Amino acid sequence: MSCKKFRLLLSAYLDQEITKDEEEKLLEHLKKCADCARELEYLKEIKRVFLLKERKEPQEFFETRLFARIKNKEKQPIGQGYFSVFRKSILVILIFFLLIVGWVNYKKFFYHRPTEVISDLLIDTQLEENFEEELLEIYYGPLG
Amino acid sequence: MEEDFELLAKFKKGDQHAFELLVRKHKITVFNTIYSIIGNAQDAEDIAQEVFLKVYTKAGSFKGKSSFSTWLYRITVNKCLDELRKRSNKIISYETEFNEEEKLKLKDVLASREKDSTEELRQKELQDIIQKAMNSLPEKYRIILTLKEIEGLSYNEISQIMKISIAKVKIWLFRARQKLKGKLTFFYPQGE
Repeated sequence: MSCKKFRLLLSAYLDQEITKDEEEKLLEHLKKCADCARELEYLKEIKRVFLLKERKEPQEFFETRLFARIKNKEKQPIGQGYFSVFRKSILVILIFFLLIVGWVNYKKFFYHRPTEVISDLLIDTQLEENFEEELLEIYYGPLG
Repeated sequence: MEEDFELLAKFKKGDQHAFELLVRKHKITVFNTIYSIIGNAQDAEDIAQEVFLKVYTKAGSFKGKSSFSTWLYRITVNKCLDELRKRSNKIISYETEFNEEEKLKLKDVLASREKDSTEELRQKELQDIIQKAMNSLPEKYRIILTLKEIEGLSYNEISQIMKISIAKVKIWLFRARQKLKGKLTFFYPQGE
């Protein structure tokens, strides 16, 4: 295993999050590698820096302010606060509905028309007669 | 943990006092987590309020698949990310480089392992120095270091809160420490 992989293990070792097997390999490596041993000392120092960091408390009357905010939210008139989520949903549904109506109308007035024009062009009486003659030939043999 | 579930169950049934107890129990944890990630006490206060406001409104959706504290940490981390993203659109700059005086103070505090009369004052200064080093890190490293070093959570808990694999927790923590080491090299005997 390379020093790079052992460095990764060092960090997990410090947090006691490595397997027994990994730990044995790492400790064996640390006996031989001065650089990695020094790195472990650096990491221990960094951990110590955090241990020195004291826990802070929020300002006085945190709960009082929080409950005032909760009450304020609950008092908000319809259309504000939590209800605005409902209002937004309605707006999204409305936009979606309008898009569908628009698409259906587009298909009805613009998309179908070219099809009708093409089919009109296909209704050619001479062609139809020829087609009928061909069918008769298929079923009853050549005419005449 | 059992107590949290019980309090939450009572709150879901309409017991406001149970919610108050939950807030009282977890407010310092939530505040410290936010302060360590955001780096500003006033903002941390506001975000902590937002976190508990969310707990109040979303308690009904908590199914109990994870522990209450994991759920609470997740809300806290998400609120911090929201704030950091909002800030990325604004120009808010925190001083992240150490001056010579700060370097000397940190060396001094780390060298003396015994408490003395000026301990309290030096502790206060040290908090600012550590926070400055934290503020200089990318957001994901700030979050992971906070959860590990400040809150003392396990890799498994961190992976659940940050929704990343345990392997990723290991790698991010390794990189976060490397970056922090880079910021604090001046107090190492032989900085790399």
